[in-house]
Amino acid sequence: MTPQRDFAQMPQAPQAPLSGKAGIGLRAQHLAEVVASPPAVGWVEVHPENYMGGGPAFRALERVRAALPISLHGVGLSLGGTDGLSERHLARLTILVDRLQPALVSEHLSWSAVEGNYLNDLMPLPYTEESLKLVAGHIDQTQDRLRRRILIENPSSYLRYRHSTIPEPEFLAALVQLTGCGLLCDVNNIYVSGRNLGFDPTGYLAALPAEDIGEFHLAGHHVNPVGEGEILIDDHGSEVAGPVWALHRQALALIGARPTLIEWDCRIPPLPVLVAEAAKADALASASLKERDDVRAA
Amino acid sequence: MSALRELQCAVGRAVLGLDEASIVKSIQGDGLDPAARLAIYRHHYLTSLTEALKAIYPVVCRLVDERFFAYAARAFIDQAPPQAPCLFEYGAAFPRFLAEFPAAAKLAYLPDVARLEWAINSALHAPAEAPVDGAAFAQVPVADYPRLVFCLQPSLRFLASDWPIDRIWQANRPENQSAEPVDLGEGGCRLEIRQQDDAVIFRRLDRGEFILRKALAGGRTLEEAAAAVLESDPLFDLAMALGRLMSEGLIAGFRLSSPDLTPEEISPC
Repeated sequence: MTPQRDFAQMPQAPQAPLSGKAGIGLRAQHLAEVVASPPAVGWVEVHPENYMGGGPAFRALERVRAALPISLHGVGLSLGGTDGLSERHLARLTILVDRLQPALVSEHLSWSAVEGNYLNDLMPLPYTEESLKLVAGHIDQTQDRLRRRILIENPSSYLRYRHSTIPEPEFLAALVQLTGCGLLCDVNNIYVSGRNLGFDPTGYLAALPAEDIGEFHLAGHHVNPVGEGEILIDDHGSEVAGPVWALHRQALALIGARPTLIEWDCRIPPLPVLVAEAAKADALASASLKERDDVRAA
Repeated sequence: MSALRELQCAVGRAVLGLDEASIVKSIQGDGLDPAARLAIYRHHYLTSLTEALKAIYPVVCRLVDERFFAYAARAFIDQAPPQAPCLFEYGAAFPRFLAEFPAAAKLAYLPDVARLEWAINSALHAPAEAPVDGAAFAQVPVADYPRLVFCLQPSLRFLASDWPIDRIWQANRPENQSAEPVDLGEGGCRLEIRQQDDAVIFRRLDRGEFILRKALAGGRTLEEAAAAVLESDPLFDLAMALGRLMSEGLIAGFRLSSPDLTPEEISPC
């Protein structure tokens, strides 16, 4: 018996690329509410890992898809892992992508499994030629399998390695060159990593290949005291912080408007709070567009 | 071993709490103790997996309280790190771990309550198949009935316990504010757990029904399953029991056990 037989059938028409209003991360707590009454957002994004069983959660996601564009944002592929990609996980992701034909598919520049153990986190890579070759090979493998372009997200980091030689935005740009992938620019992650590792977020934004950025992420973070200093934790547990909105304004000026997502994964508030955050992102994007037009007109 | 492989193995050991000395020297301090930076990942690993276990085992958590649960979860995570990224599949071995966990030895029913919670969780993530067409089933010659093998709904689970774990579960659900005492002396139960509509339900089965359904779900032929049930209950009404399986929509397919049939003769299963 193949329990996922029905689950694997039915290719659908692919969803149109995202445009217009910002989206929100959709978590289990809000799934039924969103199915019953789709909120006034442009689209929703989910972690495919939560829907790979094919049960009621997956069926609810199919109903969401009928009402809103969806994006599959993977956290489990371990593209930077020396274990190699898990065939089982890649096969399950392929089934979901084939079945849902989402507007976007994305993953992270990180690794999460080693010696068979899954560390349940987006572990940072050393940015070296060796890492570049490994990640590029895994992105190729994934894109070939899914038969589509994926976006790669910059991670938030709490440490860096002494022997890293390539700055992160250049590493991402090189991945685009090598694999034809796109990028997911997580503005909160740039801010968090910049503070944690001591780099300039504006310079980072400017070093990214703007035309290959297909999505923005915005989220809240937590400031954690450590010894004499502090570390910013990317916990997605609050509203987007003021400095991150400011950095996003710069990103809009440097890169332009892109499909934008509000992520909120712990201490999850009522749905209207998320929708209000998405509306803020919309207002910022409109203002940025108007500024551009004004500059052009002048 | 490549440099990257060596580094990831060392980071992995640190996150699993085995050894951090070999990796700390590779980490840039940037004004902080490199070990403190590494500790963030270790902390997230433990807390996020503890939360994942708590989401699957809320009744166990309530029975032992949050602090004990976190203590047990930590020991379990150290013993059995996840092997795959889908966390709804993490923790299948937690009931067995609890059965062997000395600190929980006084709560003899705890491992079976955990088994029930795992069955509920795994049933919730199973796909649902379309029930088999009664007309297709009617075409099977009666002489072939003994060789029938059924594919039952993938979400079906069967669990027998010496304790009234269904009542313990009901009384200790986190949303149940007025937990009534459960008489542990009332004896055990045989439970069927499955998806219905978009939720998971469970109910008690009598001994015969439980033996039959469990045997069929395990891939035994109708003849083997019938022999098992009739041995314990010679008066068991097999035809009625099969009718109930069919009318409840639990039969998703069937085939005949003989290997010399053409594929056309076999319903997909």
